[in-house]
Amino acid sequence: MGNSVEACHKPGFLRRVLIGSNPTRTLVRIVIWVVLLVVIRTYVLLPIRVEGVSMLPNYPENGINFVNCIAYAFHPPQRGDVVAIRYSGRSIMLCKRIVGLPGEVVGFHHGHIEINGETLDEPYVKRPCTWEHAPERLGPDEYYVVGDNRSMDFEQHTKGIADRSRIVGKILL
Amino acid sequence: MRAWGLRLFLAAAIAAAGFWAWTLLFPGPEQVIRKELTQLAATASITPNEAPLAKLAKAQRLASFFSEDAEVRVDIPNRPYQDFNGREEIQQAALGARALLNVLKVQFLDMEVRLAPDKQSAVVRLTATADLPGEKVPEVQELEFQLKKIDRDWLIRRVETVKTLR
Repeated sequence: MGNSVEACHKPGFLRRVLIGSNPTRTLVRIVIWVVLLVVIRTYVLLPIRVEGVSMLPNYPENGINFVNCIAYAFHPPQRGDVVAIRYSGRSIMLCKRIVGLPGEVVGFHHGHIEINGETLDEPYVKRPCTWEHAPERLGPDEYYVVGDNRSMDFEQHTKGIADRSRIVGKILL
Repeated sequence: MRAWGLRLFLAAAIAAAGFWAWTLLFPGPEQVIRKELTQLAATASITPNEAPLAKLAKAQRLASFFSEDAEVRVDIPNRPYQDFNGREEIQQAALGARALLNVLKVQFLDMEVRLAPDKQSAVVRLTATADLPGEKVPEVQELEFQLKKIDRDWLIRRVETVKTLR
């Protein structure tokens, strides 16, 4: 009888580029990537946009950055770290620099931060001030945080004592 | 094998849809509170060129979220301390704000609802943002709401500011 020719189905070029030669495997890969990205985005690297002038000139307005949420998994926050501090959640956070560590006495004198009575060297402060504030002792889980831009009045600058539980992570860049 | 997989997938989808419909039709107290506070934020917002009657109606609606003996204590840095007691004072304050401002957008974010074991009262921590005219960055303030279930309605008994940084 006549020769039977088996049709050889070969996927088109566009289909191979978009979904590969094995759609099931591609789907599994997509799912794994999406899960991985969601986990990283939620628990590891939180993308943020900096708003406000508090951290000028080191962190300009509308700059995109990331919060490393696992930065303090193995060690406590350090002096000089720029951290994200949460309000009731992570939708909006404060971006501040840690200057005082638990148990230390922190105050401002002639615009300089004094830690346990000694002036702190702050090369990142480009806009000096004349702030004065009486020294206060930090509790066991408390950190003193302040912005780099000290050009405004003391009262108008958001700063103060942050509880450890409010520190979400370290600003990455 | 494929048919079983498809059946399993369909069963899961139907179960998920059923659960979603159930929560939509019979929301739990936490969802009711969240919805109510979202409505409060929308009512507190001011749209441009509001008619005087609309202003009055919105101020009345805003006061209706609170109990008769409600207390509001607002202590924001660089702003005068505000203290209101009772629905009437809250309504007057809302009217005053609407007379002063032409536009205002209020949002409540990151609501953290803690229900009492008897489910008759609740404490909610949230982050309030207010977009004020002429200001590039919105005002942000953490607030704590205390609510009580009165006659099947969740009414606000107390609002106070939370100091994020001490």
